[in-house]
Amino acid sequence: MSGIHCSMEDLLAIRDGQGSAAARRHLETCAECREEYELLHQRIAALKALPSFSPPRDRWPAVKEALVAERRRRKFLGWFSLAAAASVAIFLALRFAAPATEGEALDQVTLEELVTQSQMLEEALRSFDPTSRVLSGRAAGAIADLEDQIALLDAQLAEAQAGRVDPSIVRELWAERVRLLDALVRVHATRAAYVGL
Amino acid sequence: MLAALDQLAIQRAKTGDLEALEQLYRAYEGLVYTLARRLCRTEEDAEDVLQETFLEVCRSIGRFRGAEQASLTAWIKRVAASKALMRLRSDRYREADSLEDGPELTNPREPDVALQMDLETALARLPERSRIVVWLHDVEGYTHEDIAELMGMTVSFSKSQLARAHARLRRWLRR
Repeated sequence: MSGIHCSMEDLLAIRDGQGSAAARRHLETCAECREEYELLHQRIAALKALPSFSPPRDRWPAVKEALVAERRRRKFLGWFSLAAAASVAIFLALRFAAPATEGEALDQVTLEELVTQSQMLEEALRSFDPTSRVLSGRAAGAIADLEDQIALLDAQLAEAQAGRVDPSIVRELWAERVRLLDALVRVHATRAAYVGL
Repeated sequence: MLAALDQLAIQRAKTGDLEALEQLYRAYEGLVYTLARRLCRTEEDAEDVLQETFLEVCRSIGRFRGAEQASLTAWIKRVAASKALMRLRSDRYREADSLEDGPELTNPREPDVALQMDLETALARLPERSRIVVWLHDVEGYTHEDIAELMGMTVSFSKSQLARAHARLRRWLRR
């Protein structure tokens, strides 16, 4: 309540079921305030009755175009990762299923060992939760750099295997992958030990 | 008037079906554009809010948990209000708004004869924040707590903006 009559705040609070007891009592007995209260209701009813608008232009084509472009981008990235993984798997399956000479058998073992090592290192990487610990700027930079190099190498590996290149080159790429993964595991292990102290 | 959408159409829209999403757009474009027009300053801004709202709705509807149209309507309106307010929070609007929120009225019940106008004109003449609070509270049914959260201000500020807005409307409309 302010002064003799209900203020606008009082009337709005009463309308929202939150008015003070004094304001409610006054409203019951004051004809002028009741008229104000009625006007408030009428104004709100008039606001609700204002006409709606129609958009001057159809914006759906623009929305659809943006959605389709986003989906295309996501699909491309998804297929690229899948293709890289699939080509590695197909190459390995074909390579080891085919009859081999004595020299090639040695290569196979070496390549197989490299792939196994690579898998073990990736398993080790999964044990480091990237979201659980705070990264220093330097560690974050080193990790990002190594991850970029591995991603680039995976793309080269997928390309090399799809293009039927010399198996020794593929083996070298796998060896490089193992080296990078090993470095990445070391960075994570050092960081985890440091933060855990 | 909001076009009815059945649960199947909502479910299809949730899977990303473009035809169902267009159906959703057609059902809600008027409602979203009207809300945007009431909150934004210009038609162009309202159109942009319409587009931004539906991009967001189409991207996020898969995560929307409700199945009924009423809850879908409330969610879409919330996205639209949030997009419009985001636009209004930009510096150019904040600066302009601070200049137009005039002095307190001495006697709000005294009609301003010189300024008598219709409701549409009076609403447009209100300071930005007052107009938004009036619309969200009195027409859309948002609580002061909702408005405070959406606009990044306090509940008491929302209440005082509403009272000031009604005092002005009362004078300008003579009712």
